[in-house]
Amino acid sequence: MIRIIVVIIYVALLSTFSSTKVQAEASYTTLHYSMLFRQDTDDTSQKKLDTMVIADRRSMVKGIADSLNVKLSALSPNLSVQQMLKGNIAGLYVQETSGEPGTEQSMIIRGLSAPVFNKNDIYSQQPTVYVNGVPMIRDNPFVFDIQKYGFNRIGPATNLLAGIDISNINSIEAIKDPAALAKLGPNAANGAIWITTKAAKSGRRDLSVNSYFGMVQASNISPINAQYENQFRKPFYQKYGTQDDYLNYVGYLRDSTSLDYYGPAKWGDRYYKNTPIYSVDLGLTGGSERANFRFFGSATRNAGNSDDTDLKRYSMSFQVNMAPLSWVTISSMVNVGRMDRDRNRNLRDRFAETRYIPDLYNPLSPNINTYQSFLNEYDKAIDDNRTTQAQGYFAVKLDLKPFKFVSTLNFDYSEGVRDAFFPTTLMEGNNFSSSYIGYNQRFMINNALSYTKDIAENHNLYFEVGQSVQDDRYRYNYANAYNGPNDFIKVNVVEGDPDKGNYLKPVGYLVYRYTDQIHSRLFSFYASARYSYKDLLTFSALIRDDGSSNSQPGNRWFVSPSANASWNLKNQFLKDNNLFNKLRMDVSWSRIGKTFSDDKFAAGPQYRVNAGWTLEPTIPGYNGIATISRPYSSGWVGYDIKWPYTDQLNIGFDGAILKNRLSASATFYKKDDKRMLINTPLPAETGFASQYGSGLAVRNIGLDLGVQGHIIMKDNFNWQSGLNFNFNKNKLTALPNGLDELIVGDRKLKVGEPIDRFWIYENQGIYNANSEVPVNPKTNKALTFEGTTLKAGDPKWKDNNGDFVINSEDKILAGNSMPKFTGGWSNQFRYGKFDLSFNIVYAIGQKALNQSASLQYDFINREAANDINSVREIFSWQVTSDLSKYAIYNPWSSVVPYRLEQDMFLENASYAKLRAVTVGFDLTKTSLFKGKSSIKKAYVYVTGNNLLTVTSFSGSDPELIEYNGIYSGYGLAIPRTYTLGIKVDL
Amino acid sequence: MISFVNKNIQFNRTLIILLVTVMGLNVSCKKVLDIDSSRLSKEDDHWKSFQDTRSGLMATYGLMRSALADNNAHWLWGEFRNGDFTASSRSDLKVIVKGDLNASFPLLQKIASWRAFYAVINNASLFIERAPEVLKADIRYTEPNYKVDVAQARALRAFAYFYMVRIWGDVPLITASHDGSFEMKGRTEQSKVLAFAESELIAAAKDLPYVYGAEGDDLLPGLYYGYDFERWKGALFTKISAYAVLSHIAAWQSHYIDASVYTEFVMNNYAKANAAYSTTLELTAADGIFNAQSYNQIIAFGFNDLYGESTVNGHVEQLVLAAPLISRETPDLYVTKDTIASVFKDLSDQRFGLDTISGLPRTNYFVNYGSAIPVFSKIKVLRGGSTNGDFAVYSSSIIFTRLEEIALLRAEALAVLGQRIDAINLLNIIKKSRGGKGVSDGPGTDLISEIFAERRRELMGEGWRWYDQIRYNKIQNDNQDFLALINQKGIYWPIAKDVLNANNKLVQNNYWK
Repeated sequence: MIRIIVVIIYVALLSTFSSTKVQAEASYTTLHYSMLFRQDTDDTSQKKLDTMVIADRRSMVKGIADSLNVKLSALSPNLSVQQMLKGNIAGLYVQETSGEPGTEQSMIIRGLSAPVFNKNDIYSQQPTVYVNGVPMIRDNPFVFDIQKYGFNRIGPATNLLAGIDISNINSIEAIKDPAALAKLGPNAANGAIWITTKAAKSGRRDLSVNSYFGMVQASNISPINAQYENQFRKPFYQKYGTQDDYLNYVGYLRDSTSLDYYGPAKWGDRYYKNTPIYSVDLGLTGGSERANFRFFGSATRNAGNSDDTDLKRYSMSFQVNMAPLSWVTISSMVNVGRMDRDRNRNLRDRFAETRYIPDLYNPLSPNINTYQSFLNEYDKAIDDNRTTQAQGYFAVKLDLKPFKFVSTLNFDYSEGVRDAFFPTTLMEGNNFSSSYIGYNQRFMINNALSYTKDIAENHNLYFEVGQSVQDDRYRYNYANAYNGPNDFIKVNVVEGDPDKGNYLKPVGYLVYRYTDQIHSRLFSFYASARYSYKDLLTFSALIRDDGSSNSQPGNRWFVSPSANASWNLKNQFLKDNNLFNKLRMDVSWSRIGKTFSDDKFAAGPQYRVNAGWTLEPTIPGYNGIATISRPYSSGWVGYDIKWPYTDQLNIGFDGAILKNRLSASATFYKKDDKRMLINTPLPAETGFASQYGSGLAVRNIGLDLGVQGHIIMKDNFNWQSGLNFNFNKNKLTALPNGLDELIVGDRKLKVGEPIDRFWIYENQGIYNANSEVPVNPKTNKALTFEGTTLKAGDPKWKDNNGDFVINSEDKILAGNSMPKFTGGWSNQFRYGKFDLSFNIVYAIGQKALNQSASLQYDFINREAANDINSVREIFSWQVTSDLSKYAIYNPWSSVVPYRLEQDMFLENASYAKLRAVTVGFDLTKTSLFKGKSSIKKAYVYVTGNNLLTVTSFSGSDPELIEYNGIYSGYGLAIPRTYTLGIKVDL
Repeated sequence: MISFVNKNIQFNRTLIILLVTVMGLNVSCKKVLDIDSSRLSKEDDHWKSFQDTRSGLMATYGLMRSALADNNAHWLWGEFRNGDFTASSRSDLKVIVKGDLNASFPLLQKIASWRAFYAVINNASLFIERAPEVLKADIRYTEPNYKVDVAQARALRAFAYFYMVRIWGDVPLITASHDGSFEMKGRTEQSKVLAFAESELIAAAKDLPYVYGAEGDDLLPGLYYGYDFERWKGALFTKISAYAVLSHIAAWQSHYIDASVYTEFVMNNYAKANAAYSTTLELTAADGIFNAQSYNQIIAFGFNDLYGESTVNGHVEQLVLAAPLISRETPDLYVTKDTIASVFKDLSDQRFGLDTISGLPRTNYFVNYGSAIPVFSKIKVLRGGSTNGDFAVYSSSIIFTRLEEIALLRAEALAVLGQRIDAINLLNIIKKSRGGKGVSDGPGTDLISEIFAERRRELMGEGWRWYDQIRYNKIQNDNQDFLALINQKGIYWPIAKDVLNANNKLVQNNYWK
């Protein structure tokens, strides 16, 4: 009976998601499989449930520093997977570009695989996070198509990876091994993060409760008022100012009796605050050998120390495992979660969202009362950001020795809703309302069949074939509305009378609506084989064929192989050696196809809506009629766009000595990302801004190193230390169409050079007099900057090609925006019932362009422009950079002396941070709990986070730099956090 | 089907069903992977129906509008260089006013690119090449409709070439779409480019109607793409529009005989296109001729608020408007009081003068005349013609030409050709309609200067000032500095770096090297 139920459920589920003709294929398929299954199946060993299911959902981790010490990490109030992993995995680089809780964050495994020009380029380089084998769907960058400014994506823009509570996590591993990634397929082309949650298990009912309470500490800043700014500008006016310039002196600095600007600058008391954070969670497991479950629920509040930012998260997880028959295991999981985010109140972000820049003549005042009145007006605003997530799987496993069959249905759904309303008082007399609802949805069906055979003594064979279908859908609806009748009506009201001509048309607001959808599928097959000889050698190989609906019809399928060899050197050569407890060598190679996140490449030459221009991307049509044309501004898409792919090679050693007290692993890797797309220039006379060229290739070479040691192992004193280290170097190996170099905006790519270089002028000082400007002896003309003669007060930029014209040909490639060395060092000490641990993370060798300083010095152009860069935020009323550092150039000069792209603004952004210090005390063995058998564990701890940063960077924090290496000063402080927590297991 | 089943029947049945289902998934995978994107139209699905021609033709107009509107380039090219406006604080605008076009501001690089015009040209060429496919495929697409469409595409392409020649001089002449095959082309002499444009316009003018969507029109009777004349007025190229461009092409090359012929056609036939002179009120009201659609817009690219096309960028207002009309304190560009006084000498001029009763300055063209920075308020079309300055988005059309402009051009041509009386009559029509005193002929009358002075007043802020100065100096032939600028081709703009980098057959204009 149970069998029948199982069958019905499974077939029902499969057929729901397949919509295929089962009957028609029956005669064709049955024979083939029946041959395989006519084996005797009675002998099924009685394995424990939890280990059986989870084992299939766990991958093989090779290096020492490839998995996270979850127990240690759980003592810090980390919100997102990125934060948990930061500095703890060799070769995984996490940089928090803002301390605002829940903002989007990135992870880069083993270097950039493509250049990052703007924020949406980072999306396609993220590794995929698997939760119990469910590949989590990411946000799609296609919303940027309708955005005028790319600072934040529209919608809640919440980090989807902030939804997983670490208390429910059993392990987190970074999968970097090429062969292991190849088995996961195109989803894992950028690497994979493999999370297994705590599992349902049989046995006595287990209850665990964890909770912490803490504070984030307000930053310590030096606020300034207009007097400081006035003093700052004085030398420029004294040196270069004309009568006219004095007349045009900016309004808010003119009146030194104005309390708003020249009064006490106490805005910081309202902006930076000590804020409480908390979390409480509960896990419950129990059940029998045949059926068991786990429930987990948690509530968390995380907060930033600035601008009242915070995130509240509620999550729940439920797992059930069943073994209705000795050879059938069914397991399922459902995680649901919700995140509500309070975002910052930056003017820039608001103006970017509203696409409307009011007059910026008078900035926010540093006076606490004036700032408070601004905040009071802001209280009338609505800024709701809600993200809900649901993910899970349903898996059936049939263990029919020597066959195993696993079939899984995975789903992941995340939905973001944002409602925003800004009153007239904040928006120069007109108000703004917008609403966004978007979802990402993934269904995936995996089937795998494996077969194990011992062909002779010491020779073992393993085969596996598998297949999967993945269906992804991204969709959003967005509407923004301007200039409503008043600030009390915060939603778009439409005419309700069906007899009226404007029935269902907005009354009051001016409304714009947008909607877009991408639907794609991925279809995969693979077959793999493994041969092992004793415990000495293992060879495995895998071949897969992936079809993506986002690829062009002629190149829809991509066949890719991978292979792996593992050699146990210890057993081969050092069997009797007492020093070495383990020594293994691994060589692994794979090719994995990479899918496109956008569906526009599948179509080839195409026609699109293209009515707008850079500053007005969303104008709907001409004379009210939709316009469709070639994609002139976004770029020509031709035929012959093939799958991009990544070739990876690993050579690794893994060993342990001194009775496993010291273990280490070293992996050399070479990662070649090839045939990627990039916009290459076309002659402007074609009408196209660019064309998508296939053939960008980037190579990353590096070394992952992990060392772990039990340095002291005494009864009452214990010291464990772990170190991880990565060295990475990237290089552009090819550009499309055989190009040697490519200029994209302010960046230049050159074959043979790293892709993360800055392209800048070399600044060599200042021309103090016109006579100092070199004169071309041939033409008798003075040195020019792109045709404009340089004068006294202009910077001395180096004329590298000696043609007496400074232009882009004189720019050099310098610095790297990505670090060369990254890693971390963690230590744990235990003394009796006490323990102490600390964690240091570091990133060395990256540089940043200080845009914040550039804009401060370029105040003449910045203030006159009245564009998005002219916005002066409240936090600009503080001392940020060393004023004596830069020369006093003529800010009115038309060569723009304080332009960002010069080495004057290039700074070293290397850092080391003391990220966490924890002191804990184990109560379990104290007299308090002694003898109370109901309590398995009781533990209290105090943790301090982000306590210390060592850096030479002049900005507030070397981590708060955009992905492209530009420091805008916009990242919110990563706060010092102190928490007190308790863990109890019953 | 289950013939192979052995002892464990139940077990196998389970597996069979299971595996069959699994296999069923695989077989349909080919279809599964064909997902048509909802975000674009594929090559093989396009040029099949009259919706494709409609959206393709409208895209040509839309692209032309983008080319002129992006960064407010229409005015940056035509109005401000050496013009009547002064930049208040923006350095990039200051250098444009000074004509220092090599200066290194991002804005100058952006507007020195001609790519957007070639998008118009490419789209028009593609339309001309592909529209016949629709004629075959869709019976709703009629022969007259097709002819009118192609004529518009040809006229727009010619217009784009003329517009570019005024900015850059010699430009590459490309007359086919070369769809998908990209090659580099060098620059063609501007006389050849203009000869091509002229011949195209003459051919197109034959097929272009006076009015779109009108009952009983000879060329195109009835609705046009399902809409009547109300929808199309002012939005599309008419026969009159084509002749207006022809007139300008001739005048630009100092072919004033041709110019007089072409303008004569316009002046004799504008009534057929329902065009008329505009009153001062219509010219300067927020909901006047710059707002929405009007027959008086002989060539215009609209931002009709009715269709949600109001924008911030793409309007002269973005540069020149300020308090009290909108909440901005200072405009980026303004006309100084001295300039106003020297341009508007006739105090009875309704555009700007002194009110005879109150003695106060008239506010049709300028408000805040009392302050140091007067605000140029001739064009002030806040959203849909409203006057609410809280929300500074604009709906003003980019009017390339209107009847007054053509009348003055005709007066210019006639004056050059020596037909002074006719010229003065035309000039006086304009002057009087603005409340001014007429000009009378006499030995001391510098008619050319009078005409150009009137153009300066009438067309202020409409993107003509720079080109007018070029024609004026060519006719007068006495300003040595300006003539040198013309001879050295300094009247043209430099070509953007990106454009030069992407095509090695191009060389920078000598003057800007």
